[in-house]
Amino acid sequence: MTENQIELRGVRRSYERGGERLDVLQGLDLTMATGSFHALMGPSGSGKTTLLNLIGGLDQPDAGEVFVCGEDLARLSNQELAQWRADHVGFVFQGFNLLPVLTARENVELPLQLTPLSRADRRAQAERALELVGLTERMTHKPSELSGGQEQRVAIARAIAMDPDLILADEPTGDLDRAAAEQVLELLGQLNRELGKTILMVTHDPAAAEHASHVVHLDKGRLESITKNPERVRSEA
Amino acid sequence: MLRLVLRNLLAHKTRSALTMCSMAFAVCLMCILQASLIGLESAVTNAAVNRLWIQSAVSLFVPLPMSYEAKIESVAGVEHACKFQWFGGIYQDESNFFAQFGIDPDSFQDCYPELEIVEGSYEAFAQNRRGCIIGEGLAEKYGFALGDTVPIIGTIFPRTGGGAWEFVVEAIYRPRTTAMDRVTMYFDFAYLEEALRAGDSRGAQGVGVFLAKLDDDADPTEAMGAIDGFFENGPQRVQTTTEAEFGRQFLSMLGNVPAMLAAVGGAVLFAIFFAVLNTMLAAGRERMRAVGILKAMGFRNGFVFSTLLVESLVLCTAGAAIGLGISIGLEGGLQSAFAGMIQSFEISSQVALGSLVIAIVIGTVAGIAPGRSAARVSTIQALRTQA
Repeated sequence: MTENQIELRGVRRSYERGGERLDVLQGLDLTMATGSFHALMGPSGSGKTTLLNLIGGLDQPDAGEVFVCGEDLARLSNQELAQWRADHVGFVFQGFNLLPVLTARENVELPLQLTPLSRADRRAQAERALELVGLTERMTHKPSELSGGQEQRVAIARAIAMDPDLILADEPTGDLDRAAAEQVLELLGQLNRELGKTILMVTHDPAAAEHASHVVHLDKGRLESITKNPERVRSEA
Repeated sequence: MLRLVLRNLLAHKTRSALTMCSMAFAVCLMCILQASLIGLESAVTNAAVNRLWIQSAVSLFVPLPMSYEAKIESVAGVEHACKFQWFGGIYQDESNFFAQFGIDPDSFQDCYPELEIVEGSYEAFAQNRRGCIIGEGLAEKYGFALGDTVPIIGTIFPRTGGGAWEFVVEAIYRPRTTAMDRVTMYFDFAYLEEALRAGDSRGAQGVGVFLAKLDDDADPTEAMGAIDGFFENGPQRVQTTTEAEFGRQFLSMLGNVPAMLAAVGGAVLFAIFFAVLNTMLAAGRERMRAVGILKAMGFRNGFVFSTLLVESLVLCTAGAAIGLGISIGLEGGLQSAFAGMIQSFEISSQVALGSLVIAIVIGTVAGIAPGRSAARVSTIQALRTQA
């Protein structure tokens, strides 16, 4: 039996907005097996990004338990969460979020500064990650000199540079054209299949969700359904 | 981290360069003001403890009888006495101001052991009634050389015929300490005295002040009391002061110039602090999304705080180093320009270090505000910031 990488029990999260209490997540239970590829779908305001932030240790629940990679995140302090993120999670954002002043290689090398690796080793590891996403030729380019698809591939290279267990992608294809989006989704699928990375991807795009083995539907902060993509489940297995 | 900081600075070249220039200008100005202040006060701070100055108790501008010299020398503890007469002449033009004093060649050198003759000889000066010693600063500024005749128009002691006094350069001195400046002319008092007696010059007879050099084991306080007591019953009462007090008296004549210089320096620093703070706050706001990215990757609050703090420090110290370099480059020119006004103008290591420390303090304080905001903001909030 596959071990669960993510386990949420009775998770609640609410925000105060304009003096009103907004219950974004209302007692959510969810499990994700190690090495799975889940797509998280739902209308705007359904709590997708909030859920992603909780699983990524960027936010804390008001109630409930969030176990990710064997750690109860609610028990960790901010500093401990920072270290935990560095050790276990790679983020891919819709807006790429690369540092514009650094080259592609330097962006990928950046999280590696949190490791005891030497400068030469950091550089070599960053180059391997860029090679994996097919951007060897673009290493010395700054983000402004890259296309949207290339920027997102650099962001994926940065996310995997630390060899994390879990990749959290928040609408990674939202700002890309169809062709570039397909490349990015293929890449995520490849990381899942070949390197065994657990992936949770927020998306509005049903075509993007088809790349995942499971599609989680949220609505009004509640889990509505989980559907399986038999073809992807087989290839995952 | 340094690479990220430098890249961030280079990403806004104009803004960084302008802030650095502001800091460079402020540090340069600060160095000049501080060196001027120290120079102005050097006559007080570096004053010799074994030299006393004797002036009329009525006013510095009332001359004392010449016969006082021997009487002062007879006071217990006094080794030498020397006349010191302010001449106040003009060389060619009023803008060419430098001090001239009539002194006793016999005792002057003994009173001023810090006088080092670098060209010519003191003996040649002592033997030539029209001879003079000039500071090397004057030689540099006006190109005076040994044997040159320096014409000086008397203002307090004008020539009856209307011509200029003529002094022959017999020696050039360099002060060993800043108790003495390097831009003064000393000539034989006897030359002036003889001209006054012969009617070749107008002006009051007598001596402006006397200088008393004390024995090594003499107590200055006792000697001052003894000298003042000696002339208690006239014909003219005197006021004896230490060299430091005598220097302070001249400094006070400038009014609040030292305080004004300090105030100008302080105001410039204040303005520069706000300029740097403004730059760093703008940088902090721009950097907010990057802060979110760094935090999401696992960088701690201390790291993002440090990036902004180090950026501010790099900006300020680089600017300060440029400003310091400029002020050192200007030192020679300013020494000549301030000659006669400021006893010794020097961008000393103390001045340089002080300016760098102030720049570092400004950099630190200006970096703390954006650094703290960056450290405190939540990762989610920072990531939501528009790039």
